[in-house]
Amino acid sequence: MWNMFERRLAPTESPWAIAAMTFGSVVLAFLIGAVLFLPFVSNPIDAYVSLFEASLGSMRGLGITLNRAAPLIVIALGTCVAWRAGFGYLGFEGCLTIGAAASAWFALLALDGGLAFIPSILFFAVAICISFGAGGAWAGGVGLFRSRFGGNEVLISLMTNYVAAFIVQYLVSGPMRAPGSLPQTPRLPTETWLPGIIPETRAHAGILIALAATGLVWLLMSRMRLGYELIVTGLNPFAARYGGINVGRRYVLAAFLAGGLGALAGLIEVLGTQHRLLDGLSGGIGFIGIVVALLAKLNPLAVVPTAVLYAALSVGADAVQRSTGAPSSIIFILQSLIVLFVMASDFLRYWTIRLPFKSPGSESGKV
Amino acid sequence: MFDDFVVSSFLVTWLAASVRLAGPLLLTALGEIFAERSGVLNVGIEGTILIGALAAYLVTYQSGTPWTGFAAAILAGILANLLLAWMYVTVRANQVVVGIVFNILALGAASYGYRLALGSASNPELIPMIGSVTIPYLSSIPLVGPILFSHSILLYVTIAAVLAGEFVLFRTRFGLNVRAVGENPHAAANAGISVSRIRYAGVLLSGAGAGAAGGYLVLAQIGLFRDTIVVGQGFIALAIVIFGRWRPIYAAFAALAFGAADALQLSLQLFSFDLPPQLLLSLPYVLTIVAVSGLIGRAAQPAALMEPYRPN
Repeated sequence: MWNMFERRLAPTESPWAIAAMTFGSVVLAFLIGAVLFLPFVSNPIDAYVSLFEASLGSMRGLGITLNRAAPLIVIALGTCVAWRAGFGYLGFEGCLTIGAAASAWFALLALDGGLAFIPSILFFAVAICISFGAGGAWAGGVGLFRSRFGGNEVLISLMTNYVAAFIVQYLVSGPMRAPGSLPQTPRLPTETWLPGIIPETRAHAGILIALAATGLVWLLMSRMRLGYELIVTGLNPFAARYGGINVGRRYVLAAFLAGGLGALAGLIEVLGTQHRLLDGLSGGIGFIGIVVALLAKLNPLAVVPTAVLYAALSVGADAVQRSTGAPSSIIFILQSLIVLFVMASDFLRYWTIRLPFKSPGSESGKV
Repeated sequence: MFDDFVVSSFLVTWLAASVRLAGPLLLTALGEIFAERSGVLNVGIEGTILIGALAAYLVTYQSGTPWTGFAAAILAGILANLLLAWMYVTVRANQVVVGIVFNILALGAASYGYRLALGSASNPELIPMIGSVTIPYLSSIPLVGPILFSHSILLYVTIAAVLAGEFVLFRTRFGLNVRAVGENPHAAANAGISVSRIRYAGVLLSGAGAGAAGGYLVLAQIGLFRDTIVVGQGFIALAIVIFGRWRPIYAAFAALAFGAADALQLSLQLFSFDLPPQLLLSLPYVLTIVAVSGLIGRAAQPAALMEPYRPN
C-alpha cells in the first residue's frame, strides 16, 4: 500500500493546494456525517439544510449562535497569542473558570449595594479588567514556572484546570453559595447582565467584547513590536535570545495575555448567558477554543468566522436532534473529523499519490 | 475501645476504597508510560477509555460473558489508537492537538455507537460483571486483609501488569529501545532502531491500557454504560504518570495516592468533618504541578516527549 505514496522533494507551499486540501477535508467530513445521519433521517441533505437554517437562517438562531461563538473566539485568540509565542498553554478551562468566578464575585458585590452607584458602562469596564487580571495572573504563574524553573507548561497547565475547577466548586458550595439545594451563587442583579444587542433575540454584548478583543490581538500580533517579539520567540527562542529578546519574560507575558483572554470567556458566560456562578461551567469550551484556533491556523482574523461556523454547527445540531431525533453527537463527530482531516491532509504536503496509470519511470525525475 | 473500632473501620473502608478507585487509573497510566517513554504524549487516552468502556458493555451485553467484553475493550482501545498512532507518528501532527480532538471524536462516536446499537428509549440494562475474589487466609488478616485481598480479579490483573510493565521497560531489549527512542530518537535511529515502529508500539500499548481501563470501569465497578462515566480519568492518569516519574512501580503508588485523596473526601463527608473536600481533591494535582514545575530538581520526563521525529 505504501508504494502508492511518493515523497516530495520539498513540502508543497502552494496556497491552492492547501486550500484544496482544506476544502476536501471539510467535504469528506460532511460526507461521513451524512452517512451517520442515514439511520435516523431519510435525506441527510435535508438534515444539513435544517441544521444551518436553525443556526444561521433566522435572527433568533443567529443570536444563539453568536452567544455560543463569543467565548470560543476569545479562547481561540488566547491560543493564538500563547501558541505563536511557543507557549503550549492548555489551561483555558481553568482560566474560563477563574474569570467566571472573578466576574461573578464583582457582580455580586454590586448586588450588596457597594457598587450600586456606578454607571453600567464603568461596571463592565471594571469587570473586564478584574477578570482579565485574575485569569492573566492564573496563567502567568504557569509562565513563571516555565521561565524560572524550566517546568513543562503543557503538563502544568493541564493540571491547573483541575485546581481551578475545585476552587470554584468550593466557592459555590461554601462561601458564595445561595440558599437552596443546588451548589450555585444567587442570580446576579439584572443591571450586571451583558445587554442584548439585537432586538427579539438572545444575542448579548459578549460578541462585541470578542470582536474588540480580535481587533486588539490582531493589532498586537501583526502591527506591534511586542507581537513581533512574541512570534520570534515562538519561531526560535535561541535566535530571539541572541537578538536581545528576554525570552523568559515573553513567555510570562504570552501566558498572561492568554490567561486574560481565556478569563473573558468566563465573564461572557457568567454575565451573558448563565447569570450566576455554578460548578461545571466550562463544559469543554476551553479545549474546543484551542481546536478553533488551530483550524484558523492561529490567525486572529480567521478565528472569528471559524468560531461562528463551529458554534453554528453545535447550535444546529441541537435543533436537528429536537426535530428529527438524530443524535447531536453526529455533529461532534463531524467537527472533530474536520480537524483531524485538515491535520492529516498536511501529510499530502510531503507525499504525493502515485497514480497507477503513470509509469514509475516518468516520475523518477521528481524523487 | 469504641474509638479504636471506629478508627480501624474508618481506615479499612478508606484504604480499601483507595485501592478500588486506583485500579482503572493505574491501568491507564501504565499504558501511557509506554507511550510517553517512547516520546509520544498521548492525551487521547481519555477518549480511549470511553471507547473501551462502550466495547466492553456492548460485547458483554451480546455475549453474556464479561471476559469476552474485557478482551473486546482491549482490542477496541488498540484499534482506536491505531488512528492516533498514525496521526502522531506518520503524519507527525501536533500530539496535544490530536489527543484533544480525538477525545471529542471519541465522545461523539461512543454516544452515537451506543444509540445506534441500543436505541435511546430503554433504560441502560445491567450486564454480568467480573466478580471479586477473596483470597483465602490472606483476606482474613485483620486490617490488611480487607484492604488488599478482597478486590475484583481485575485489580490483581492490573498489579500483575504493572510488574510485567516494569520488567519489560527496564529489563528487556524492547524496553531499552522504547526508552532510547523517547530520549534521543536520532541516536536510536542511528543504532538501527525503527523509531516509527517503537512509537507505534508505545501508542498501541497505551491504547490497550486505556481500553482495558474502560472495560475495568464497566465490568468491575459500574455495570452499565453512559457517555458520562469517563470524567477526567484519562487526564488524571497523565498526572499519575508524571507523579510516578514515568515508572510503572512508582505510578502504582501515585495512583494509590490519587485514589486515597478521592476516597478520603468521600469518607470525610460521611463523618461530617468541617474541611472543604475540594482541598483534599486538589491536593494530588497541586503535588503533580510541583513535580513538573521544576521546583524540586529536574522533572525526569523523556527528553523527546511531544517532539515528532523527522529523519535527517
